[in-house]
Amino acid sequence: MIEFRGVNKWFGPLHVLNDIRLSVQPREVVVVCGPSGSGKSTLIRCINGLEEIQDGDLIVDGQRVGDKATDMTRLRTEIGFVFQSFNLYPHKTALENVTLAPIHVRRTPRAEAEEYGRELLAKVGLGDKFDAYPAQLSGGQQQRVAIARCLGMRPKIMLFDEPTSALDPEMISEVLDVMVAVAGEGMTMMVVTHEMGFARSVAQRVVFMDRGAIVESGTPEAFFSNPGHERARAFLGKILRH
Amino acid sequence: MIWQQLTGLYGSYPLALRGLGMTALLSLIALVGGTLIGFGLGILRTAGNRAVAAVIGAWVDLIRGTPFLVQIFIVFFILPELGLELDAFSAGVIALVNLNACFICEIVVAGIDSVPKGQVEAALASGFAKWQRMRLVVLPQAMRVVLPPLVGQYVLLIKDSSVVSAIGLTDLTRVGWLVVQRVPNGLLVFALVGVGYFVVCYPLILLARRLEARMSAAQGVVRL
Repeated sequence: MIEFRGVNKWFGPLHVLNDIRLSVQPREVVVVCGPSGSGKSTLIRCINGLEEIQDGDLIVDGQRVGDKATDMTRLRTEIGFVFQSFNLYPHKTALENVTLAPIHVRRTPRAEAEEYGRELLAKVGLGDKFDAYPAQLSGGQQQRVAIARCLGMRPKIMLFDEPTSALDPEMISEVLDVMVAVAGEGMTMMVVTHEMGFARSVAQRVVFMDRGAIVESGTPEAFFSNPGHERARAFLGKILRH
Repeated sequence: MIWQQLTGLYGSYPLALRGLGMTALLSLIALVGGTLIGFGLGILRTAGNRAVAAVIGAWVDLIRGTPFLVQIFIVFFILPELGLELDAFSAGVIALVNLNACFICEIVVAGIDSVPKGQVEAALASGFAKWQRMRLVVLPQAMRVVLPPLVGQYVLLIKDSSVVSAIGLTDLTRVGWLVVQRVPNGLLVFALVGVGYFVVCYPLILLARRLEARMSAAQGVVRL
């Protein structure tokens, strides 16, 4: 579904993605973790073309990202992207946030889009917030709307870029619960997160990045019980201490 | 004597109405034309290719950096030399529309630039095409920032339109000059001219305030 073949990227002299090789199968949930500045966000932002790759091949849903023949706008409709800072449209209600792209991109009839939108919002626990504007919602609620907004497009892939990092601790679990439910429905997911509980219970694979490179990749059990790489051990020691 | 002046003034009211009408008409055309062209230029400048943006930027700087009186003289006196004959009204309209399009372009660009990058990324990730991103996501948010200075610009526009009296258009200001020759009380006459402009401008000022309040309410913004 997603395949990195020797992908490289530089920000000026900084080598942010260093020879990335990674293949994500359909229905697989992959958690990407690592210290800040290790290139995790850049990695998943490349998948829907929010960042350009400079070297190597990146195949998503059978199409080469960045290739002139690839219609990126079209490809993006198959990829949901959840941002750390939600990025809901502030001038639209929760329901409008969910239905905007289906109506204007997928050309779904409004009534049908709204029906599905209500269904999705109810599913993420916001059945009573259809007409609320983002500014009237808490962070956790906004992030759940953002997930519903992605699902509204019926995507094949969902990408999460630190979806709980901007949330107060008591709101993290409500968002993670929704993500667990989405994973349970067989969505192909790549999740950048430090929520190791989520990784342990949902991910089929954990990828550890450091300084732009994937230094470790394996099942959650293997990764948590016996990380092979010294930097992964140091990282786990820091975040699992409490 | 003051009584005489007042009756003189009263006798001039058809002329004053004509002046007011001319000012209102010029302002309206410049407002509508300037807004349409200004938005077009602003959008092209932020979303178009680099060469287009550079040309628009240079033109806007040129117009913003030269006095309006000079511009209006160029349109009215110099363009005919180049074979483009214009009556005073057309010349006034062209100069005013151009001036306002340039100022509004700057306002629109500032508004578009104020929309957070994350909004564009969210719209990109949703699969919106370029024009949809602009129309559905960026512009509605930019409008909140654009609207107050935009209506402020409309007020300036109405006042700037007084410059067209220099090429002989009988607008409100020129009516003032004409009347003051008959009624030698400059303070009184031009105070009334000022009132005339204020009457046209004030509803706009009120409108700006209401629009702003409504936009804020729609987005749940807490007012300080």
